[in-house]
Parts: sequence; C-alpha cells; structure tokens
Amino acid sequence: MAISLRESLFIGLADMWTRKIRSLVTVVGIILGVMSIMVVLAIVNEMNRSTLEWMTERGGINKIEVHFNWGNDKSDWSKANFTLNELKYIRSQIPEAAAFTPMISDRESALTKGELYYRSTISGVYPDLPKVEEWQVAKGRFINYFDLDNNNNVIVLGSTVARELFGSKEPVGDYVYAEGQAFKVIGVMATKSYVKPGTENFGNFLEYMNKRAFIPLSTMIHKVSPSQKIDRINVRAASPEEALKLQSKLESIILNMKEGKRLFEVSSAKEMMDEMKKNSQVFTAIFILIAVVSLLVGGIVIMNIMLASVQERTREIGVRLAVGARRLDIFIQFMIQTMLITSLGGVIGIILGYAILDLVGKYLIMQLSASLQMVYVALLVSVGVGFIFGIMPAVRASNLNPVTALRNE
Amino acid sequence: MPIIETHNIIKDYDMGKVQVRALNGIDLTIEQGEFVAIMGPSGSGKSTLMHIIGCLDSPSEGSYLLDTLQVSNLSKSDLAAIRNKKVGFVFQTFNLLPHLNILKNVELPLMYAGIPYKDRIKRAREVLANVGLSDRLRHKPGELSGGQRQRVAIARAIVNNPAILLADEPTGNLDTQAGGDILSIFSELHQKGHTIIIVTHDQAVANRADRIIRIIDGKIVDGNLAA
Ligand SMILES: Nc1ncnc2c1ncn2[C@@H]1O[C@H](COP(=O)(O)OP(=O)(O)OP(=O)(O)O)[C@@H](O)[C@H]1O
Ligand SMILES: [Mg+2]
Repeated sequence: MAISLRESLFIGLADMWTRKIRSLVTVVGIILGVMSIMVVLAIVNEMNRSTLEWMTERGGINKIEVHFNWGNDKSDWSKANFTLNELKYIRSQIPEAAAFTPMISDRESALTKGELYYRSTISGVYPDLPKVEEWQVAKGRFINYFDLDNNNNVIVLGSTVARELFGSKEPVGDYVYAEGQAFKVIGVMATKSYVKPGTENFGNFLEYMNKRAFIPLSTMIHKVSPSQKIDRINVRAASPEEALKLQSKLESIILNMKEGKRLFEVSSAKEMMDEMKKNSQVFTAIFILIAVVSLLVGGIVIMNIMLASVQERTREIGVRLAVGARRLDIFIQFMIQTMLITSLGGVIGIILGYAILDLVGKYLIMQLSASLQMVYVALLVSVGVGFIFGIMPAVRASNLNPVTALRNE
Repeated sequence: MPIIETHNIIKDYDMGKVQVRALNGIDLTIEQGEFVAIMGPSGSGKSTLMHIIGCLDSPSEGSYLLDTLQVSNLSKSDLAAIRNKKVGFVFQTFNLLPHLNILKNVELPLMYAGIPYKDRIKRAREVLANVGLSDRLRHKPGELSGGQRQRVAIARAIVNNPAILLADEPTGNLDTQAGGDILSIFSELHQKGHTIIIVTHDQAVANRADRIIRIIDGKIVDGNLAA
C-alpha cells in the first residue's frame, strides 16, 4: 500500500511552497512555450475561420473561374476572347456543372435616374450568375433566358447602386438610363459584406460587388458595346471534389479551343483553399517547432533543477526511506512535484498567453481569441513536459540506498 | 524463539582498490523483549551492524533471521514495510525533516503505512504526549533543544508500535540530564515489552541494559547468548 496520490500531491505542493522563488524561476521556459502554443493555436484558428468566411462570401469553394492568363504573353490580350458560339460549346461540354455564366469584361458606365447619377460597373451575364456566385436576389428577380434570347433591356442593380439612385423608393419596375438607353430594373441583389475582424476601418472588402449592375450578355453584345470582349467565365461545380475535376476538364477544353495557346487560366476556389491550407500548415509547423524547442529547453532546465534538488535532498530521502517509504513513494513524490511545477508554468503561460493575444492580434491585424481547446492543449502539454522530464530525477531519487542517503551531508 | 538471529554476517565496503571489512563474522542472538547495549571502539562496526539489523542495509555474506524471516529473501518493498512497522530507528543526529513541524515528522511513518489522516493525527499526538512534547506540536525541529529533538525522533520511531527499537548513540549529542530523560523513555518502552538495542560509548548508559555486547574490529568479543 503505497501512499495515496492525494498524499503525494500534498507533499509536492508543500515542497513547491517551501521553494517558491525557485519553482517560479524554473518554469520560465514552460511559460514561454505554453504562451507560444496559445498564440499559434489562436492564429491558426483565426486563419482557418476567416479564410472559410471569405471564400463563402466570394461564392463558396465550389466556384471555378476562367480568366485571362497574365502569366502568358501579354500581347495576346486582344485575342483572349470567347464568341457566343464558343460559350455555347463549352457549356455543352460540361453538363455536370451546376451553374455557368460568362462575364463580359467589366464596363464602367454612368447610370442615371432623373437628376441622380452613379458610376457603376455593368456586366453582361447569363441567368446563372446568382447560382454561380451564391448570391441571392433581394428584390424582384434576376435575368432569365427569355431576357437573354430577346436582348431585353433589363437590369439588376447591386444594393449600393439601388440605394444611390432610388434611396428609399422602390427601384423594381422603374427605369434607369445607361449608354443612352433605358433599362427596366427587374431586381436588386442582396448586399455582399465581408469585414475582416480587426480591420474594421478598412470597411467592407466586398463593397465593389454591391456597386455593380447586371444586364443580359446578349443585350451587352448586340445593343450596348459590340466590341466588348468576353474573357471571363465563372462556373459552379456540384461539390468541392467535382470542382477540381471540372477545373482540369475546362482547362483542356479551352486549350483545345484556342489551339494550344494558354490564353486563359482556370482557377478554383478549392485549389486556392488547399493552397492556403498548405501555407497555414507550414506556418503552423514553424510555430509548433518554436513551441517544442522552448518546451524542450524548459524541460531540460527543469530536469537539471530537479536533479540538483534530489542531490540537495538526499538526506531527506534517506530519512523517508528509513521510516518506511517505498521506492515507488519516493518516485511518485518527485514525479508529482515536477509535474506540479510544470503545470504551474502552464497555468501562468495560459494567463500570459491570453493577455498577449490582443497585442499579437493588433500587430497581425487579426481578431485573435482564446478557446477552451487551447487551454486544454496547453495544460496537457505542460503536464506532459513535467512527466517526461520528471522521470530521470525521480528514478535517481528512488534508487538511493537508505544508508548512503543518510550519510550524505 | 529469538527475534534476531544472525549467522556469520560479513560486511565489506568496496573502496575502489581496497576493501574495508566492517563486520567480520557476526553471530548474534537477541530474544524477544530484551534490552541490549552494544559497546565498542570507534570504527568497530556498531553502526554498520545496527543498519543491517534495521534492514537499512544488507550484509555482504551470512544470514539474518528477523522474527524467523530470512531477510535476504525479502523484496525491497517488504524491507520498506519492515522499516515502517517492525523496527524503529533512532539516530545520534536525530534525522528529523527540518521543514516539517514535529507533528508532521511523527506522522511520516503512519503516512507511509497508509493510515488515514484523522487517525494519524490522533496517534502522533498521543505518542508526542508520551514523550512530553504536547505543547510543541507546531514547532519546527530547529526550534527545539537537542533533548527535545531526540524525543521527537523516538516518538517517530515508536509511532507504528514496532517490535524492535534500534538506537545508535541516542544520547551521544545530549547532556546528562537530557540523556537521562531519553533513557527513562527507553526503560519504559522496555517495560511495555519492546525489544531495545542501543549503541553507546557510555558505560553508565550501557548498565541500564539487561546485557552488554562488545564488538572489536567487526567481531563480537563478549556478551553473546549463543556463545
Ligand atoms: N559507507 C562506507 N563506506 C566505506 N567504509 C565504511 C562505510 N561505512 C562504514 N565504513 C567503515 O566501516 C567501519 C565500521 O564503521 P561503523 O560506522 O560501523 O563504526 P562504528 O562502530 O559505528 O564507529 P563510531 O563509534 O565512530 O560510530 C569503519 O572502518 C568505517 O570506516
Ligand atoms: Mg557509529
């Protein structure tokens, strides 16, 4: 019947109390290690969260974009164009795509309504645009195939455009003027918003979308601006896994169509997301390395101090053995003491880490916050360090011979 | 039935090149309830013998039967249990833990015996009262006189009610008055039936015992029953 854990814990606490200052100095390495773990976890959590939020707002991770390849010869820019027939062909080749819309290269235009005037960006698109972008129509409806087939003069406004031109009045059913023509307002898009936490004064990163307006692609080509190039296509896949397949399929279709010239680049949100995850993993690995190194150094410091403590307390160990302590009792006593000291370091590290999260967050322009998971990880790690580096001193203490220990001066 | 019986115990200390023979064939028999004094010149092996009897150390050769148990066959934790319950050890230099108060010091063997906290406190207070230290429970050993410290050490040695009490020069660091008090306690314990073995340089102290054993150069030269 070895002495109870509670008893050992009590002895450990009493020991720590008699050597308060030393115990505290001992754990500096652990404190720093735990602090960096806290910060790393907070940064990683925040990066994952904000990336996902950003991606979702930009149309989700099923989105694929075809756009001019700036990496290719820039003189080809004038040739980077899809005809209406080519678009039809591409669409017919990818029936598995959930949604598909070309985007006519953006055209800055003044929209007027009576006295009011607003500089917007008008795009010619297919009816699928809301589906591709996961963007709801807030009021009225979006462009449909009837509008597209008949080159109708209809327009859907971004929320900012609608507000600037109509204020509190109802825009749907009314008319606006653009490029010398009247367009019937058939709908207003929902407001897109993404504010990066910690950077509130930069405002809404997606405000540019609310400043846009959409008309049928056919109307744009036939009635507004025949010379306008169609050099963007946005596609929505059925799932993130499909997106990667669809991406490479689109790549080869377009490459064939353009006789092997890499005029266009095809990118997918899924791919970007994976790329970002990889980057954040590298970043995480580096910080974890820093944390591990400081914990290792901290652990070795503790081990040495505990070894010195065993040396210094040899006589005490002798006395304990002489009155009936077993080797296991001595072992547990020193193990618990080391683990108590490292957990003390862990707790201090958690508190200090929590305190500097705001500071680090300000510096990195991120909204860093602590989570329970971080506290658990930090505690577990600090107890673990105590366990690993406590073994050697505890073994040394428990292997002492009673008489030799008692002779020690 | 003797409580202690040794046959040809030899203890060598390995000092690198040379070997020191501290005990050179000890045949010793002590009966249950005896009060024995061990005397001999410095370096003759008295402390070494006491350590072996108290299971703090093991002999290089020979056999030791403690209460008919062959000690060399016992495991380390059996030996710990013997040190805890069967023998109490009193040292010349007290060997109290300086950072614990005397109540805690006396509690120590009870703790390792797995006795619950409440019972421990009760028992430790009782024993400290027996040695006349009820008013010093919260004092640290450093705040006590030599005689008082030795009384704490005796209280600790007997708190688990061991059959055998071993005392290695318990009065060596004390004046006559304090030494006398300690000896009275031993006599009392002897009356109660404990087996007591005491090492001393003082003939007057030895005279309180039933029997005096003399050791020279690791050999018993006088006072053995078996002889
Ligand atoms: N740990 C040790 N290492 C080496 N030699 C030792 C050790 N312990 C004791 N000895 C030697 O063994 C012999 C007996 O020592 P011991 O301490 O038993 O003598 P003692 O009779 O108790 O002497 P004293 O009356 O001075 O206390 C001595 O020669 C001593 O030097
Ligand atoms: Mg001696």
